[in-house]
Amino acid sequence: MEQPVPADHPGRLSEPRRRASFGKTVAPYLLSLPAGVWLALLFIVPLGAMLIQSLETCSPASGACVMTWRWGELPSVVNLYHTQFLTSLYFAAIATVVDLVISFPIAYWIAFRGGRRKNFFLLMLLVPFFVSFIIRTVVWEFVLSNNGVVLHTLKNLHLLPQGFHVLGTGFAVIAGLAYNYLPFTALPLYVALERIDHRVLEAAYDLYATRRVGFTRVILPLTVPGIYAAFLLTFIPAFGDYVNQQILGGTANTMIGTVIQNEYTSAGDYASGASLSLVLLAISLVGIFLYARVLGSRTIEQYL
Amino acid sequence: MSENDTSMEGMDPAFWRGLTQQRLSRRNVMKAAGLGAGASMLSLAGVDAAMGASLPNANVGTAKWWAKQKLHHKVNFANWPLYIDVLAGKHLSLEHFTQTTGIKVNYLEAVQDNASFYAKIRPSLAAGQGTGYDIVVLTNNNPQLGYLLELGWAIPLDHKLMTNFNKYAGPLVKNPSWDPGNKYTMAWQSGWTAIGYNSQVIKNPGDSIQMLFDKKYKGQVGMLSDPFELGTAGLLAIGVEPDKSTEKDWVKAAKKLHQQKSDGIVVAYYDQSYIAHLKNGDINIAQAYSGDIFQANLSTKYKKLKLLLPKEGAMLWTDNMVIPLYAQNPLDAMKLMDFAYNPMTQAVIEYYNDYICPVPAAKQQLLHPTGWDAAALHKLAPEIGLPTSVTANSPIVFPNAASVKITKNYYQFKNQEEINAWNSLFLPITQGA
Repeated sequence: MEQPVPADHPGRLSEPRRRASFGKTVAPYLLSLPAGVWLALLFIVPLGAMLIQSLETCSPASGACVMTWRWGELPSVVNLYHTQFLTSLYFAAIATVVDLVISFPIAYWIAFRGGRRKNFFLLMLLVPFFVSFIIRTVVWEFVLSNNGVVLHTLKNLHLLPQGFHVLGTGFAVIAGLAYNYLPFTALPLYVALERIDHRVLEAAYDLYATRRVGFTRVILPLTVPGIYAAFLLTFIPAFGDYVNQQILGGTANTMIGTVIQNEYTSAGDYASGASLSLVLLAISLVGIFLYARVLGSRTIEQYL
Repeated sequence: MSENDTSMEGMDPAFWRGLTQQRLSRRNVMKAAGLGAGASMLSLAGVDAAMGASLPNANVGTAKWWAKQKLHHKVNFANWPLYIDVLAGKHLSLEHFTQTTGIKVNYLEAVQDNASFYAKIRPSLAAGQGTGYDIVVLTNNNPQLGYLLELGWAIPLDHKLMTNFNKYAGPLVKNPSWDPGNKYTMAWQSGWTAIGYNSQVIKNPGDSIQMLFDKKYKGQVGMLSDPFELGTAGLLAIGVEPDKSTEKDWVKAAKKLHQQKSDGIVVAYYDQSYIAHLKNGDINIAQAYSGDIFQANLSTKYKKLKLLLPKEGAMLWTDNMVIPLYAQNPLDAMKLMDFAYNPMTQAVIEYYNDYICPVPAAKQQLLHPTGWDAAALHKLAPEIGLPTSVTANSPIVFPNAASVKITKNYYQFKNQEEINAWNSLFLPITQGA
């Protein structure tokens, strides 16, 4: 005969307990299901479709594609367009750094000196966004054209040589990128700066920290996640941007976004376009993963 | 110049035919596609076959099918910008069409360039849906028109409704090599790709295409982004006849164009927008379509723009009206397309357009209008600022022997592989880093 088992004996309760732990394991997944479905539908599925498309061979006439498992397409487009990738990296990096340098003082001023009108100042920062950024860029093209208001006047005053031009140069593209993505940099920086507890800063000053030390040892470290978020939010869209390059750029500064756009809309070569997009995405993802490793994924969501 | 010299009627039709038909037809091109495809890569024609892209509906466009079509009193017409008479935002020619037929024309300047327009309508057609257009206009120097015809994505025309066309169409556009018997297309206009320049800045343009490659004009030249236009300019520059060129010539032409770019001569590669940049002085010299320059001249502000037909050759192309498959109003479209071949219509359009007129008889209408065109031409006159006789006697609108002599034809591709080879040489130039 078996010995009676005490009620709290683990063996006896193993059955219901296992059920409870099963529920516990499943619950987070169930709760994250909406987000998971969202991610799958809007990220994984298009990504898969893009991967499939990059391996296909398509007819330029009908656009019909058949799967030919052409893995060679990826290295061949990288080989063909690596300079455009480098140009994009270079332009996007400079534009992002320029944005960080410009928007840090702005964000700092609004966060620390904005007082009760912080929201008004933030709104002022966003007002240009009420106009489509394509229109804003085209207006810049108009303003900066060789015989436009600015250059024509300066040339007539002999302040600039006759042959001087802005449009078509790498400078114009970088300036356009920096201009269009400035709020993407300023807002995360503002969020980070705004959260800093002023008492921490005061404590530093009480401990004989100079203004400079207060900034470098207290404010800057506390804003690092914001700077990183600002960097990603600016750099990644700028990296894939094609509008600025097409409107303001010239022949020697084609960015990869332009090439992808041309592959899809002019050449009708979906396979090349998809391969290039995959490479672009891969480079961008490396940035995000580096971020996650350095600062932890939790800090991303606070600023995005 | 004598009357005969300036008129197209005065010319032997065989002359035009020789110009346009020595080349392989575009339909043959498509049929040949797939021959000689690489072993590793599936032939592209093969892809279409594999996808079952046969003629979507063999019944469409037959006499029986046309007999069943009804007028819907509207037509959607997708054309290139600045390609029809305009007066205060209205098109007198189309207004007359609406008045007499009751068919409203939704005229859209939707085509900026062949490839991107085709890329826009292709997904709809591939999905078996209408494009939203009843007439689209595509050029014979790009592969897209051939694609459309070969895939059965164009509705065969009803020749019973082509009375004006049969009566008035000139030798240049009748039975063209790219569409034998005008089965699917009627030309809208033809024109030349030549050089446009700002005569205020460029005092001694010379007479050669080398102008586009002259280091003297560093940072002043605009080239067309269309790889077929760009490559052809390169071929002319290295002294090769484009329609007789070989792949070896293409490589040399591409090298020449790369050099032109790295020398900093080219400001940018443009689509139709080149004309705006030429007008506002961003560029002083550009590869240009003949009519664009003359239209710009209509404004006193842009009288400074001049057209140069280089001695190496002015490239002749024709824009063709096509009814895309699944068009909602094919009968209305037919009516409009044939209306365009009424000499009175052409007189009004040409007075504004200054492209090569497909209807030689329009010349007489410009000189002595006999119908509704008289009032329309009269209304347009202040806008144009030139008497109609100038248009009528222009060798650019009604070509004479001299302008025909300078005319060259584009290379006719024999298969898709050649198109790919061409693209791989000339596309990287426009999007290089």
